[in-house]
Amino acid sequence: MSDEPIILIRDLHKSYGATPVLRGCSLSVRRGEVVVVCGPSGSGKSTLIKCINGLERYQSGSIRLEGIEVGAKGTNLPKLRARVGMVFQHFELYPHMSVTDNIALAQVHVLKRTRVAAQERAHELLARVGLEDKADAMPADLSGGQQQRVAIARALALDPQAILFDEPTSALDPEMIHEVLQVMTELATDGMTMVVVTHEMGFARRVADRIVFMDTGEIVEDAPSEEFFSAPKTKRAADFLSKILEH
Amino acid sequence: MPDVIVKNLPFLLHGLTLTLDLSVWSIMLGTLLGLVVGTVRFVRLPLLNTLALVYVEFIRGTPLLVVLFITYFALPALLGYRTTGYRAAIFGFVLFIGAYLAEDFRSGLRAVRPTLIQAGLATGLTRWQVLRLIILPQAIRRVLPSLFNQYVRLIKFTSVASVIGVTELTGAGLLVNAREFHPVTILAAIAIVYLVVCSALSLAGRALYAHFAVRT
Repeated sequence: MSDEPIILIRDLHKSYGATPVLRGCSLSVRRGEVVVVCGPSGSGKSTLIKCINGLERYQSGSIRLEGIEVGAKGTNLPKLRARVGMVFQHFELYPHMSVTDNIALAQVHVLKRTRVAAQERAHELLARVGLEDKADAMPADLSGGQQQRVAIARALALDPQAILFDEPTSALDPEMIHEVLQVMTELATDGMTMVVVTHEMGFARRVADRIVFMDTGEIVEDAPSEEFFSAPKTKRAADFLSKILEH
Repeated sequence: MPDVIVKNLPFLLHGLTLTLDLSVWSIMLGTLLGLVVGTVRFVRLPLLNTLALVYVEFIRGTPLLVVLFITYFALPALLGYRTTGYRAAIFGFVLFIGAYLAEDFRSGLRAVRPTLIQAGLATGLTRWQVLRLIILPQAIRRVLPSLFNQYVRLIKFTSVASVIGVTELTGAGLLVNAREFHPVTILAAIAIVYLVVCSALSLAGRALYAHFAVRT
């Protein structure tokens, strides 16, 4: 079973009304792999990863998460989602709860851990992302980079099989990007399966096993990261790379 | 204190007690009703949403006095049950304030960012859990000022209960005046009492909001 992909997407189509967003995307992610999804804005990257945990519906095609069809009628989506973490562009911490409670909430209500156990786990994870002194802080008291690290801890708290990152550093000031990327790099080193939508090409080059390049709703290129950066196969990818690496 | 007030103080105080009694029950039950109806409107439950919409629009387009006539005369006659002025008044106030509170709750619920809902769902919480644990607590904190606005309005509205024979503060004052005929003194005294009660509630609301406000 270990060579069975953890995420398997086949010929995925999605449109908002008459506007197609995803036009036949196929992708597989194996356990322990780090896949970076990049491409110009509006290319469907975020929509693609939100389809993976069923936050977005799709019209045709198939997504299998650990062998379970996400879009099937009988699928228990909450149960499935608890097995994949997600980190959002704007952190999305619950503003009325302390940092610890943010991390404990789903542990208590989804995994049915006791409150005490959940808080202990929250404190362990806060230490792991370097924020053990912020356990009682409210989200509004933290910087963007700190909030995003809490959000990563919140995702980790469910012991997920994979984590999806939707532009995790796009809303951050430059000096905070580094601290978040560092936590993500450590996760990758620890063997976490990750799908990361990002424009951070330095991170992609250093950490990703594979780069998936999307444009206008299609996966244009899917290549090992060295190959992608040194010799992109398509002109669209080459153009994108030259634009993003130039500045 | 003017003689006419001192002489009738027990009677007027009894009226005040009744005003507070009506207000407390109406606020508690009306808030519960508003919360349920507002949530139904927010979630858009198929049939219930339409019912809720009809109820809210009906109340918003009907004078309070007419609502009280409905709960005091019309509904008991139509449905064949007995009521008292006191019960019909609370029933009417609950229906009345519930519709306005429902709209407040709904706007509070709608103000919560959709991506925050996605974040909750992404952790495996069910829709109901996301509503209960993430959206509602924020919505309630956010609408506290509007809730207390409605509560203050309601306290003044309870004076209408005198029309269906409930001798609350205003009703008591009118009775005392009919006997003593000191309209200026009596109405001034009553006005001051309403002012004090309403201001106290306003202040309490502000303090609550300051304490629970969601900072983002």
